[in-house]
Amino acid sequence: MEGHSHGFGLASPSWRANLDVVVTVLIVRLKVISRYKGSLVMEMFLPVVFAAMPILLGVAVGGANAGQYFQANTGTSNFKLYMLIGACTFSVVSIMLWLVGYWIRREQETGTLESIYLAPARQVYVLTGVTIYSLLRALLAFVVSLVIGSLVFGVNLLEGNVLGAIGILMLGMLPLWGLSMLFGAFIMRVKEANSVINVMTWVVSFLMGVFFPITMFPPLLRWAAAIFPPTVMNDAMRASMLNLSTFFGSWYISLAVMFAAALTVPLVGYGVFTFTGRSVRRKEGVGQY
Amino acid sequence: MSSIIKVEKLSKTFESKERKKGQRRKLKTVQALKDVSFEIGENEIFGLLGPNGAGKTTLIKCLTTLLLPSSGKAWVNGYSVLDEEDSVRASIGCMLMGDRGLYWKLTGRENLDYFGALYHVPKAVRRDRIDKLADLLHVKDFIDRTVETYSSGQKMLVAFAKSLINDAPILILDEPTVTLDVPTARELRTIVKELNESGKAILYTTHLMHEAEELCNRVAIMDHGEIIALGTPSELKTSLALDDTLDLEGVFPAKAVEAVRALGGVTRIAMKSTNGGRTSLSIISRSGGTILPQIIEALMHNGATIEQLRPKTATLEDVFIAKTGRTLDVDTRQIVVQRGEPGGGP
Repeated sequence: MEGHSHGFGLASPSWRANLDVVVTVLIVRLKVISRYKGSLVMEMFLPVVFAAMPILLGVAVGGANAGQYFQANTGTSNFKLYMLIGACTFSVVSIMLWLVGYWIRREQETGTLESIYLAPARQVYVLTGVTIYSLLRALLAFVVSLVIGSLVFGVNLLEGNVLGAIGILMLGMLPLWGLSMLFGAFIMRVKEANSVINVMTWVVSFLMGVFFPITMFPPLLRWAAAIFPPTVMNDAMRASMLNLSTFFGSWYISLAVMFAAALTVPLVGYGVFTFTGRSVRRKEGVGQY
Repeated sequence: MSSIIKVEKLSKTFESKERKKGQRRKLKTVQALKDVSFEIGENEIFGLLGPNGAGKTTLIKCLTTLLLPSSGKAWVNGYSVLDEEDSVRASIGCMLMGDRGLYWKLTGRENLDYFGALYHVPKAVRRDRIDKLADLLHVKDFIDRTVETYSSGQKMLVAFAKSLINDAPILILDEPTVTLDVPTARELRTIVKELNESGKAILYTTHLMHEAEELCNRVAIMDHGEIIALGTPSELKTSLALDDTLDLEGVFPAKAVEAVRALGGVTRIAMKSTNGGRTSLSIISRSGGTILPQIIEALMHNGATIEQLRPKTATLEDVFIAKTGRTLDVDTRQIVVQRGEPGGGP
């Protein structure tokens, strides 16, 4: 072996070194998922199956007039595309929302979380790498499942503003990242992910109005749902792709709510996540589960 | 001696909930470390010995910033574990969880590259270093296979390589030879010695006394969260020089053991069960060989069967027995104190 060393990373890491952490984490995650190919394929078909259930129910109940009844409450008769957008957006929300929680849990179980905490790389760069990976995965799942869904249900994706919808999706990812860190902090504390996710998945899909407009809710619940970032994103995407008005009536208000959430929620999420990490290290340690 | 690790009155207390059948949950306080102080020199291999539950892993987790101590201070490579966490982490190469801590769906090389990045080892250096480590640890044949296909020993070797990826001045190795076969364990110990000769300080935990005697310049023996003995292996063994250790094997009823314990000059007795209902008995006495006939008489008179009897030179395990009255392979229960009760024993 070579002579005495003072170790790497003792000096303050350069932006290049931090970028290297982000890129390496991203590449590692992509390599791992590429070795579970079935999981990726299933992820792209799941939203189509998820949307098929209410679409078929709608056709069974409403028959040829299903679109007409639907229009009365939503402003569009294209209930198939409405459901499909909801299901695909929910799929993105699911991937993004649980990403930090699942990541923490998975790394705890494999014993690699302690190894990550032993290294001098800042958590924010590791989390950024994990997030970019999830973002890519979520976008791929969204686009492919939307295309598959449009073919299966015979709907035209290009009748609305698709680029606008993708822009909204990107903006909506930021508060989701923040929520994801809040959830990750919770998982780090309670050491249990599956049962929490099982319950929360239904709560989130309900609040988002995946298959119905949130105007159907009673007033208090309606406003609680309206400021929940995934709901705002879902509502704005539908408005963009189906040429509808948003829940808030004006585009400016919807965008302002989304920008406010994009600026504040990630900061709050990261603050709570780092605080919880330190608090857990004061107690039993990050690797215990 | 210039110290590279310095620990001052480090304590760590955990709180846990204990649930007994039919009772409400009680909050328990577990004192895993109790005012631990020591220093490790720049070119030392320092052994941390003790049974499971003695507090070794908790101490290491505090030194590596995985846990925050409840009180006390510690410096690693001159950096405080409380305030300069990133620098402490960059100063250490660590192997803590045996073959855990690797991604099973990645190859050994991909794992090393990933952790190298987390230690800010530049990409080009990483590539070169991984090749060197693969040569050094003889893992070339399997480093490009996914970890899920490795044997336990192969995983341990790659985990050991991971601890060397950042070429840190301090190596912390927690039971690194567990699950290794005898020749590989011997080879790993040789590499540890070479690394130490090349200038790395090494903190080495083990419950294998022969390993500590072979490798360590100094050792600290831990029990119940405290350091109960500290010195070079020969110093610790010399401290028992006035004592004689006698190992017996056979069948020893409780009353026979008590009869020996009652003899003047017998300082400690430790029992260990072996297969077939036999027991191994270590007796430490202060009276030289003169007490041997009395010991044999006390045992035979009380129904014991002696199958083997051998006097022996002191080992580090004897030091542990002399200090605690137990053998090292008996798990230590941590000091559990009911909330609100000051002090308290096991």
